[in-house]
Amino acid sequence: MYNTNVPPQSDLPTSRQLRRSTAIALIAAIVILVTVVLPAEYAIDPTRIGRLLGLTEMGEIKAQLAQEAANDMAADAALKPTPVPGGAAVPVSATSAQAPVEAQPPASPAPATSAAWRDEMRVTLEPGQGSEVKLVMKSGEQAQFSWIVEGGAVNFDTHGDGGGRSISYEKGRDVSADEGVLDAAFDGNHGWFWRNRGASDVTVIIRARGQYTEMKLAK
Amino acid sequence: MMLLLSALALLLLGANDAVAHAVAAGDKGYIQEISGIHLLSFMYLGAKHMATGYDHILFLLGVIFFLYRMKHIALYVTLFALGHSTTMLLGVYFNIGINSYLIDAIIGLSVVYKALDNIGAFQRWLGFQPNTKVATLLFGFCHGFGLSTKIIEYDISPDGLIPNLLAFNVGVEIGQLLALSAILIAMGYWRRTTSFWRHAYSANVAIMSAGFVLFGYQLTGFFVS
Repeated sequence: MYNTNVPPQSDLPTSRQLRRSTAIALIAAIVILVTVVLPAEYAIDPTRIGRLLGLTEMGEIKAQLAQEAANDMAADAALKPTPVPGGAAVPVSATSAQAPVEAQPPASPAPATSAAWRDEMRVTLEPGQGSEVKLVMKSGEQAQFSWIVEGGAVNFDTHGDGGGRSISYEKGRDVSADEGVLDAAFDGNHGWFWRNRGASDVTVIIRARGQYTEMKLAK
Repeated sequence: MMLLLSALALLLLGANDAVAHAVAAGDKGYIQEISGIHLLSFMYLGAKHMATGYDHILFLLGVIFFLYRMKHIALYVTLFALGHSTTMLLGVYFNIGINSYLIDAIIGLSVVYKALDNIGAFQRWLGFQPNTKVATLLFGFCHGFGLSTKIIEYDISPDGLIPNLLAFNVGVEIGQLLALSAILIAMGYWRRTTSFWRHAYSANVAIMSAGFVLFGYQLTGFFVS
């Protein structure tokens, strides 16, 4: 009836072999748990082997991300954002969610490229630290920006939030400069999140001009 | 089309207003924070994916259910590994993203197939035994597309992608061997009892049922999402 023949007992592992295998498996599991899994998941690394393997860093980043997500959640709950009227309608230019940061013809009131920057801000980031600079903008407003990193490179997320909405325009890893046009998808704060994943301090210098009310350091 | 896409993107993003700059947490979050070559980290993530992926484990259990000679086990596991490595690497390299719900539904069906195969259903229904080695390889291809789809969702940095991908693949095989060792030990105890042969049929029916559940779960996810 089955798709196989009954094997003779002599072909099967003996009880002793099985007990030995179980013991080996258990010991291997404990070693893997302590040296690999706990460092990589929770940054718990009593033997320091996880650090040598580079896995404790993974655990630390995971813990940091979880902590930041919890903080954001708490901050959002405290703010109690007002619901967007009319639901998630999209009174936005068609390309805004695609890649507005890429080369776009400057809007008519935008100054020529040779014009001076309106604001400049310097943000110093320690290893692992993240920070945000935001422009207060109305829907459809455009701002030119340029940022460079001194002393290394950063991960970035060009994004906006406001009125209970959020959007990510562009993300990048290990980038040392970026420039373009920020095209606000809705009323709110639009700008940049940078994180230093390098081993030494870096300074981000952000410059902007165009249609926005003010530039501010978000956190 | 563009408008539709951006509307959809905004709708999705608008729904997720809890996080200020929409970072993923966990493994995905970690991967999106790093760039460059991280061989051991990706090896770990590959092993974790395999060892905690119940769909792959169930299929593997079905494949080795009636295998007890080491050379047979090695042959079938190698075929499965060959299958899923091929499509995993090609899928990521050529960016072939199959809908993850659909591919996972197919993986659920692969579990059903293997369980039916084990209880001799194809011999009874079709009058012949479909080649089990070919089936293992073909379903290996399906499982590989499941893996590649997950990896594409991880959004790995292009910087160091190929070495990291190969490391992930090595990790997948390590995870598979670890899971296999545990299954073989448990099966070793079970096979020695006389009840194994009485329960083997029902056990495969249970595996088949689990495969159907996976199929239904993923297919529902496809329509709900």
